[in-house]
Amino acid sequence: MRQIEFIRSNTFLWAAAVAATLALFVAGLFAFIYWKIDDYLIMRSDRMIATQLNFLAELPPGRLNDAISDHLKQDSRGVQYAGLFDAAGARLAGNIARLPPQLDPGGPVRSVRLARVTAPTVHETTVKAAARRLGDGHILVMGRHVDETREISTVVGQALLLGLLPAFCLCLLAGAWLSIRAERRVEQVNQRVQRIVAGDLRERLPQSDADDPFARLAGIVNGMLDEMETTINALAGVGNDIAHDLRTPLTRVRLALERGRTHAATLEDLQEVADKAIGGIDQALAIITALLRLAEIESSSRTAGFGDVALDEILRQVCDVYEPIAEDKDVALRVAIDRTAEVRGDRDLLFEAIANLVDNAVKFTPVGGRVTLELMSDGKAVRVRVSDTGPGIGESEREAVLRRFYRSDKMRHTPGVGLGLSLVAAIVKLHGFRLTICPGPGGRVEILASARAASCDAAASDPARARHASLALM
Amino acid sequence: MTRILLIEDDTETADAIVSELTERGFEVRWAPDGIGGLDRARESSPDALIVDRMLPGMDGLTVIEALRKDQVRTPVLVLSALGAVDDRVRGLRVGGDDYLTKPFALVELVARVEALLRRPFDSRETTLQAGPLELDLIERTARRGEREIDLLPREFRLLEYMMRRSDQLLTRAMLLEEVWNYKFVPATTNLIDVHMGRLRHKVDGPGETQLIHNVRGSGFILRVR
Repeated sequence: MRQIEFIRSNTFLWAAAVAATLALFVAGLFAFIYWKIDDYLIMRSDRMIATQLNFLAELPPGRLNDAISDHLKQDSRGVQYAGLFDAAGARLAGNIARLPPQLDPGGPVRSVRLARVTAPTVHETTVKAAARRLGDGHILVMGRHVDETREISTVVGQALLLGLLPAFCLCLLAGAWLSIRAERRVEQVNQRVQRIVAGDLRERLPQSDADDPFARLAGIVNGMLDEMETTINALAGVGNDIAHDLRTPLTRVRLALERGRTHAATLEDLQEVADKAIGGIDQALAIITALLRLAEIESSSRTAGFGDVALDEILRQVCDVYEPIAEDKDVALRVAIDRTAEVRGDRDLLFEAIANLVDNAVKFTPVGGRVTLELMSDGKAVRVRVSDTGPGIGESEREAVLRRFYRSDKMRHTPGVGLGLSLVAAIVKLHGFRLTICPGPGGRVEILASARAASCDAAASDPARARHASLALM
Repeated sequence: MTRILLIEDDTETADAIVSELTERGFEVRWAPDGIGGLDRARESSPDALIVDRMLPGMDGLTVIEALRKDQVRTPVLVLSALGAVDDRVRGLRVGGDDYLTKPFALVELVARVEALLRRPFDSRETTLQAGPLELDLIERTARRGEREIDLLPREFRLLEYMMRRSDQLLTRAMLLEEVWNYKFVPATTNLIDVHMGRLRHKVDGPGETQLIHNVRGSGFILRVR
C-alpha cells in the first residue's frame, strides 16, 4: 500500500516524466551523432575511391595489373575492390567477378552490388564503387565496402546504453529521493501538528535555515502558531478572570444562603438573606450579560445597519444623562463642540462607547474635578475626546485596560464589571475608528473617526474599502 | 378579569410566572408548546400573550407571526434566553411588543405585562394630567396644582413618561429603554436613581403628598390614586 502510494506520489511521477523526456532527448542526440558520423565516413570513402581511381588511371598500362594486385594485397580487412575489364566486359585483373552493369564509366561514386572473385562461392555485397574508361578502351573499377558504418552504429549504441541507462536510473533515483524526502517532511509536520491538535501549543514545525519553500512555509505556519498561542493564552487568562469575577459574587450568595438557612429566626432575617443572594446573582448575571455583549460586538458584522450618525447629538445626550451624576459627585461635566460632525456608524453602539468613556471618567475623577467631552472636526477627521482630572492611565496599564476584566488595583473597590473599555475598544474597532489612550496628567481618551463626507463617496462603490480608506485617512 | 396566555416550555418557570400573575389578579392559561399555544391563542383570544422564544414544535416567533397574519393585535411579550441585540430586534420586528431577556425578575415581568395591557395613549392630546400634575405638551411646562414646576428637558421627558403610566410600576430597565433609549446596561448602576432623585425633588415639594415612590429593588411608581 505504501509502495503504491509512493509510486503514485506526485514528486515521483514528475521525476519519471523528466527521466522519460531525458531519455528521448539523449536518444535523439545519439541518432544525430550517428547520422553525422556515417555521413562523414561515406563522404571520405567516396573521396578516397575517386583519388585511387585517378591515381591508377594515370599509370602506364603495363604497370596497372601490378598496381591493382599490390593495392588488393595491402587490404587486410578485405574491404577493397578493384577490377580491370576489357571493352567487352571480360575480367583482366582484380577481385571483381563481373563488370556491374549499373556502373556508368566516368560517373560518380555510387552504391552497387559487387561479387568478389576470391570467395569460394560468389556472393554479392553492396559496395561503393566508381568506374573509368582508360585510354586503351579498358574499364577500371574501384570500390570499397564501407563496414565502418556498422561499427559506428555499434559504438554509438553502446555509448547510448552506457550513458542513457545510468542517467535514466539517476533521474528515477533522484525523483524517489525527493519524493521520500517530501513524504518524510510531511510526516514530520503531521506528527507535530497532531501534537498541537492534542493540546501541546508550544510545539512548532521543524524549521531549517535553508531557503527552500518548505522551510519558508514552516516559518509562516510557525508565525501563525505563535500568534494563536498568544491569543489562546490570553483567552485562558480571560477565562480565569471570568471565573474569579463570577465566583466572588456566587461565593457571597452561597455563604449568605447557607448562613441564612441555619441562623435566620424571623421572616425579616430570611428576606434580608434572599435580597443579598439576589444582589449577588444579579452581579454575576451582569458580568455574563456584559461578556455576551462584548462577544456579540467583537464577532459582529453589523456594518450593514450603519447609517449617518451626528456625533454632536450623541455627545449632548451622553452629557445630559451623566450631568446629574457628575453634579452629585461635585464633578464639572462640560461639552465643547467645535463644529457638528457626522460619521458612518451604528448610533446605539457609538452612544454606548461614548457613554462608557464618560461613565469611567466621572467614576475616576475625584471630588471637585472636571470632565470634558470634546468634539473636534476638520472636515476630514473627527476626534472625540473625553478628558478628566482623575488619576489617568499609567503607561504600563494602557494596553491592559483594553483587555477584558482588567481593573487596576486602585479600581478594585469601585463597582463595575470591568469590561467598559474593552467594550469601547470593540465598538471602535467595528467602526474602523481608532482608540487612543493619551498619556497623563489626567485621563484622556480619544476616538478618531473619519468624517462622513469623506467616507461616504467611497462607500457608494465599496463599503469595505471605504472603511479601510477611512482608516488610512487617520 | 384580564386573561393572559403564557406559552413557555419550562415547567418551573411557567409555574412561577403563573403563580405570580394569578396572585396579582390575572387569569392565566398556560400552554407548554408552540402549536398548542397557537391553537389556544386563536380560540380563547386572551388580552395579552407571553411567549417564550424557543419552544418545542413551533418557534415562539413563528407563533407570533402566525397570529399577526390572522390580524390578531393582542399585545405580546417575548421571553428569551438569547439576549443579543439583533435577536431582540428580530423579536420585535415579527410583531412582539416587548422583549424580556432571561433570567428576569418577576416584578419586571409583571411591570411589563401591565404596561402592555394599558391602552395606547392618544398622541393628539396637548395636555396631560395625572392627579395634581399637569403637563402642557406644547408649551413644555409643568404644574402641580397651582405651583409651577421648572423642569429641564430631560426631566420633562421622564415625567411625561411616568404620567402616561401613572400608578404602575416602572422598572429601571423600562425607564432606560423607553426614556433614555438605552440599548445596554450602563456601568453606573444608580443612573436612573440619580435622575429620579432630581425629578422627585422638584415634583414633591416640602409639605406636599409624595407622588413619586421608590419601590425597593424594583423601580418607581407615580402614585396619583
